[in-house]
Amino acid sequence: MRIAFVIQRYGLDISGGAEMECRLTAERLLKYFDTEVLTTKAFDYITWRNHYLDDEEVINGVLVRRFPVVRPRHPGRFGRLQDYLLTNEHTEEEELRWMDEMGPLVPDLIQYIKLNEGAYDYFIFFSFRYYPSYWGVRTVPGKSILVPTAEREPVLRLRIFHDLFRLPRAIVYNSVEERQMINAISGNEHIPSEVGAVGIEIPPSFSGEAFRQKYRLEGPYILYLGRVDENKGCAELFSHFIRFKKETGSDLKLVLAGSTVMRIPRHPDIIYLGYVGEEEKFSALEGAELLAMPSIYESLSIVTLEAWAVGTPVLANARCDVLKGQCLRSQGGLFYENYQEFREALSLLLQSARLRQALGENGKKYCQANYNWEVIEKNYLSLLETLEKSKRS
Amino acid sequence: MSPDNDAAPRNNFPFEIDYDNIDVARIMEAIKSKVAEEASRESGKTLTELPGAPSDALQGAEKDSLLEQAGRRAGMKRLLLRIMSPFAPLIKLVILPVYEEQRQTLLSLHRTNKRLDALVSMLHEEIEKNNRHQEYTKLLHHLVHNIVVEMSKLKIEEETLKTKTRLLEKDFGTLTERERALEKEIFK
Repeated sequence: MRIAFVIQRYGLDISGGAEMECRLTAERLLKYFDTEVLTTKAFDYITWRNHYLDDEEVINGVLVRRFPVVRPRHPGRFGRLQDYLLTNEHTEEEELRWMDEMGPLVPDLIQYIKLNEGAYDYFIFFSFRYYPSYWGVRTVPGKSILVPTAEREPVLRLRIFHDLFRLPRAIVYNSVEERQMINAISGNEHIPSEVGAVGIEIPPSFSGEAFRQKYRLEGPYILYLGRVDENKGCAELFSHFIRFKKETGSDLKLVLAGSTVMRIPRHPDIIYLGYVGEEEKFSALEGAELLAMPSIYESLSIVTLEAWAVGTPVLANARCDVLKGQCLRSQGGLFYENYQEFREALSLLLQSARLRQALGENGKKYCQANYNWEVIEKNYLSLLETLEKSKRS
Repeated sequence: MSPDNDAAPRNNFPFEIDYDNIDVARIMEAIKSKVAEEASRESGKTLTELPGAPSDALQGAEKDSLLEQAGRRAGMKRLLLRIMSPFAPLIKLVILPVYEEQRQTLLSLHRTNKRLDALVSMLHEEIEKNNRHQEYTKLLHHLVHNIVVEMSKLKIEEETLKTKTRLLEKDFGTLTERERALEKEIFK
């Protein structure tokens, strides 16, 4: 069986959640099928400017075909159009114009799919909101499997997406909450689907103690991993943390690791490390009292699963129903809706090592049972088997 | 690592956590109710701190001394009234008109207040009505807009259909003429 994965950007150096999920799945399914990746030459997700030069390359055994972006995104124009669409009555043509502005605009990729439909058994499209998935699913609906990676984002209300979720042959959701949300929006319960799209792998060696020594971290710390961005709830996290320190006089530190697109407040106990490697990331997770997840837009949150994989509990934002649902299902973390709940939950976790340990262990079990590659591979295999059976009948 | 004190948590957690069988929902419920309790305590405290507000916080010696002061004031008042009792009719004669005037003023103020309250509640109702009307107008506006759009579409469709009918009529005419010509040819 020949399967093509379609994604807006692809590469070892790309750290976006959906992109990572796509790469790991393509590499994992390589042992069962002939897998290929159809993607763009873009690296930067803001402008989609062409970055990669080669039309074809092999990454970890997977053939990657790259198509050029014909027009980079103009962030200002795109932002204005999106604001207009979300606040005004508008037409479907305007929504389609929004899709072109959203990009990455790769008509050659869609043309390739159209011309080579017969050469592939299935096309797996990642991230519903981008041009390749939107037009790709419409080009080959009968052979498409969509992995929406949808968050509770305002653009989900656009009419063009309601039909989109009813078109593919099957859908792979990242969480139960994502499935409920998309079912409610598009009424696509009849489309075959699976939940659970990524497995978590931990490196063979990592050490929380070594991490503490390297960065001279004394005393307890909570960790934030990922892009330091207002959209990820970081501004609220900083404000809650600083207020917590003022009110309780705790010696707690907030350690941040990842790229940054916002100003980090100057505070002696807020420590920004920048981008850290895979091993160091797991060391940081192991050394932390807990992982803070302040984002309200998450379709899965791989870092939350990674924290649980090493037995670290999570303190999540309850306004993100996916994170709240994961905490309740796994019994692996607490959550908060406002500062008072943040303070109480954090105080409780900091006071009780036993509670942290118990939550961490629960998280670990949940992660092993639902987010390991064997389970994910089985999900995909059984879904493809179902599709094949229905095709034959 | 942080100091651990499982036996006696500093923040007085309201129930014993079963660590072998953690229930996150129950922990969160307890946290929520604790936050709500604290909020109500805070608001109660703010009220008692207001000047003139009754305070349950007065305790022991402070309370005794306040009671003593109040008792002394009552005694002085009784003594003064007894001394002034022979002049009571005269005082009443002088004070009564002023008192009556004050009473009337107070009554009128009270009535004005009541009317003001009624007016304010009417104003609120009017504002609410107005808001509802505004929303309704917006909806009507949308409706009219949509109707206009639909009417325009229908108009265009009607025009298209008319054109098509005209074309069909023409075709029909041509076909009739052709039919006649063919008939002529056949019956020649």
